[in-house]
Amino acid sequence: MASVSMESQTPQNPMGATPAKFVSPRTVALYAVLTALTTAVTMTLAIPLPTRGYFNIGDAMVFFSAFTFGWRAGMICGGIGSAAADLLLGFGFFAPITLVAKGSEGLVAGLLGPAYRGTTRMKILGIWAGGSCMVTTYFVGEWILFGFGNAALELPLNVGQVLFGGLIGLALSQAISRYRNQRPKTT
Amino acid sequence: MTGFIDLYTEAGTFLHRTDPRVKIVAVATLSLLALIMSNLVNLLVLAAVMVVLILFGRASFKKTMLAFSYVFRVMALIVVLWPLFNPGGTPVLFDLWPIKITEPGILAGIATAVRIFCLAAAWYLLMFTTSQRDLVRGLVKMGLRFDFGLSLAMSLRFLPTFSAIVESIKEAQRARGLELDKGNFRKRAKDYVAVLVPTVITALKMADTLSLALQSRAYGARADRTYVRELKMRAGDYVALFIAVAVFAIPATVKYIFSVPL
Repeated sequence: MASVSMESQTPQNPMGATPAKFVSPRTVALYAVLTALTTAVTMTLAIPLPTRGYFNIGDAMVFFSAFTFGWRAGMICGGIGSAAADLLLGFGFFAPITLVAKGSEGLVAGLLGPAYRGTTRMKILGIWAGGSCMVTTYFVGEWILFGFGNAALELPLNVGQVLFGGLIGLALSQAISRYRNQRPKTT
Repeated sequence: MTGFIDLYTEAGTFLHRTDPRVKIVAVATLSLLALIMSNLVNLLVLAAVMVVLILFGRASFKKTMLAFSYVFRVMALIVVLWPLFNPGGTPVLFDLWPIKITEPGILAGIATAVRIFCLAAAWYLLMFTTSQRDLVRGLVKMGLRFDFGLSLAMSLRFLPTFSAIVESIKEAQRARGLELDKGNFRKRAKDYVAVLVPTVITALKMADTLSLALQSRAYGARADRTYVRELKMRAGDYVALFIAVAVFAIPATVKYIFSVPL
């Protein structure tokens, strides 16, 4: 109902192009695909663990999205994609924490990584800073929910996961940026 | 641990018919209720109510067990670890430095585990009884922007596709001699890159096609878009919404205004 009141102010474009109110179809498609990819990678390339269930390389996709498509993509696709994976894998109550943890990870990595024309050093800094956000959020969230013991047990696993994911994400973003530079830009 | 499970079960129970917005609100209030309660008996009552509601949801036993398997593992860990890290209270059952186990510690551990069960059950109630389409529709009605809602709906639709793509690329690389479960940290990371690069390129190509499809279907041509299926709150939905809010509001009032421990 809110949209009805908003649309009256938006001037109609005679060419039928996207009004300024909506994001472009390219962005919608890209975000949809990146979110789905983050969820799929988190869910399928997972190694089961005793505590929180699974050791995954979803972080790689978060870092990749953040480095290649900017902080907005990193935040939205990383946060929502990872939270959706938690929901579908049976960690629903964990989804809000994951949304904050991975969203902030993507946001920080996306802000730092591409700075200074995205040198490897900046990307590593981005992985470090983003990873710290994610590990801290998880630690605090688990402390509140599960108690100190579980949170402390989980901490080294999260650090390992973020390092592993960061290494993959870094290599992936470099490989894909090479591919994107080679390809003639058609669309 | 592979593949994609859809938690939703098609059925016609009252939980399925309830408006998704009401169910989203109910998940929030039930979670908050579980978080503000600390007495073991109260939490057990809430857990029992959750079990009854899940039974009403008609999800198959196998799916329910599969979904809860992680939760049970976490609960077991909490029961074991909580007393070790929180040795407070008087009846000391076991004391051998540095390990000290007390009765209140054990009880608090069990209460926390039951609380985790309640939190998980509230989310499962939503996921078992709401189709992804209704979920997105409800979120858009609750104020999520339409274009982000569309993006979310599309990503949910592509999830099984991408899971299948990841699996088949993994198998294809394995057939070429890639060993994903061997080697040290760096080598494993490199091996995963070999799986992810083709996956990502396939996905980006798909995004190009998708954006063309969106344009050709006049995405965003008119701001005043209409919907084929509208969500409408019925009388039953209002009753359910009232119950969902009351179930949290009454205990919260009792706890924080009359300061009765729950």
